[in-house]
Amino acid sequence: MENIRTIEEINDKIRRGDAVVLTAEEMIELVESKGVKVAAKEVDVVTTGTFGAMCSSGAIINLGHSDPPIKIHRAWINDVEVSHPGAAVDLYIGATQMSETRPFEYGGGHVIEDLIRGKEVELRAVAYGTDCYPRTRIETTITKYDLNQFYLLNFRNCYQRYNCATNGSDEIKYTYMGKLYPRYGNATFSGSGELNPLMKDPDYETIGVGTRIFLGGAQGYVIGEGTQHDPKSGFGTIMVRGDAKKMSPEFIRGAAFTKYGTTLYVGIGIPIPILNERLAAKAALKDEEIFTDIVDYGVPRRDRPKLGKVSYKELKSGKITIKDRDVKVSPLSSIRKARVIAETLKRWIEEGTFFLTAPVERLPRDTVFKPMKQIEGPVFLRSIVRPAVTCSEDEDLEAVASKLIENSVNHIVVTGPDGKLTGIVTSWDITKAVAQGITDLRKVITRKVFTALPDETVDVASRRMAQHGISALPIVDSDGRVLGIVTSEDIAKLLGRR
Amino acid sequence: MVRVLLKFRGKTVTQPVTSQVILEQRVPINILAASIDQSGGEILAEIPDQSAQKVIESFKAKGVEVKVGELIVVDKERCVDCGACYSLCPVNAITIDEEYKVNFDGNKCLGSTCGLCVDACPFRAITLVR
Repeated sequence: MENIRTIEEINDKIRRGDAVVLTAEEMIELVESKGVKVAAKEVDVVTTGTFGAMCSSGAIINLGHSDPPIKIHRAWINDVEVSHPGAAVDLYIGATQMSETRPFEYGGGHVIEDLIRGKEVELRAVAYGTDCYPRTRIETTITKYDLNQFYLLNFRNCYQRYNCATNGSDEIKYTYMGKLYPRYGNATFSGSGELNPLMKDPDYETIGVGTRIFLGGAQGYVIGEGTQHDPKSGFGTIMVRGDAKKMSPEFIRGAAFTKYGTTLYVGIGIPIPILNERLAAKAALKDEEIFTDIVDYGVPRRDRPKLGKVSYKELKSGKITIKDRDVKVSPLSSIRKARVIAETLKRWIEEGTFFLTAPVERLPRDTVFKPMKQIEGPVFLRSIVRPAVTCSEDEDLEAVASKLIENSVNHIVVTGPDGKLTGIVTSWDITKAVAQGITDLRKVITRKVFTALPDETVDVASRRMAQHGISALPIVDSDGRVLGIVTSEDIAKLLGRR
Repeated sequence: MVRVLLKFRGKTVTQPVTSQVILEQRVPINILAASIDQSGGEILAEIPDQSAQKVIESFKAKGVEVKVGELIVVDKERCVDCGACYSLCPVNAITIDEEYKVNFDGNKCLGSTCGLCVDACPFRAITLVR
């Protein structure tokens, strides 16, 4: 397809103040009313926007040298450990690194926001000392004005689209996709759909190394594809850089996801030059044409079950259908802010303060997102489950006590006549009963029992035991029939063998 | 209807105070939500406008602390209108409007008797009034 204009021509029009710029939402309306041909002819640039949690973000800072100089080995800002990726005084503030004194509430993302706000932060560093860098400790306070460089340097941002998350398990899950009620009680999604930057040029015809973008309220650049870039599945990502000293807390925010950790909300907008009709058509892609998978985050595995497909139009309506039930769905990224970003970028171009760049190299379209190479695969409970010692509700307390001794176990699983789990009795329960003179077994049975399925992993089982302060999990099938038991001792032995 | 948050501490926790007030004042009180923990109990209730004053006085006379007004405070500086809270509200007090602004309806919110949205806010912008 022949191009109808070049980026140089668009920049000339921007200079003259007569470039025609529409936001992605406005472009959709224009294409609907006048068609792609006319829209391609009339429009020079379409602006996009997204404002969401982007965990693989951070900032590189340079402190300048102290006197006497220090070659920093470990450093903390506001009690958040920052890494030392370079020589003496270059530090990288990772968004998800958490404060050692306020974990899960304050982290690297908040440090970056505080610095952007111009707040003073506390720096603490230690070093081993060398002939050229003799100093071994330093404590000081800094603001962004004291820094030589303060650049946002994010290695994976701006997903083209993302999964819709829900939770089919029986427990509430706190995830990087937010708080998910059990039994598909709610759902969450991320991304701005028809405003999403990479969605509006999904073949990356105009996006690549050197593309100038809106980043955090300032002008920044795409410096390549992001990590885990997965173009073939429609999950493209970008790596970006921008001068954080010029950014605004309106578009860069530290955030905390309960029981997951801290992160950074990043605002990104990419201008799409409408070089031909094909780009005009893609820039006009609508929410109802953009689909994503509904994924069950209740299953803690790499490949989580997919429960169906859903469009961004349905997601933005606030309600989707999962297993024939209406489920409320929360956006996690701010669609209002995404709009503000697309509008701001539009204004910058109209005012002649933002010019477009042609990429030096386009984002790759053939990379594959591989899983981790592991020496050992996951260990499933079915491979370590032992037969459970069981009893029925009407057995004598003394008989149950004897079973504990004879089998040298600490847990007896209580089952009904159909083999289904009805409770559990531990050696502690029996000891307590004896001490209190209780003789009725029914009075000491624990009825609320945490269980596991045979195809769950050892990691999940040990986490469940730790969370609930218990030392064994009966293994049951999907109907609740007891298949065996796994104790914390079994898992400790297994880990010892590794 | 006037929404009131009734706080029971000490002796009032075990007394049938609410029933006594209903019987004495002969006013239908709608109990919306109730909760109890080690520090005491809370009831969120609706009282018809014309009887609100005398019912509130009656509760106070029986040693119950009565709170009228906002049940949650949303810090609009911190809130970015992400909507993470939206799907967690069991009474649809949180809505997202056409401009994708997140709104809280104080007439529906159950406040501290619920609080399910509080820890879902990535910006810690929601605070319960206690």
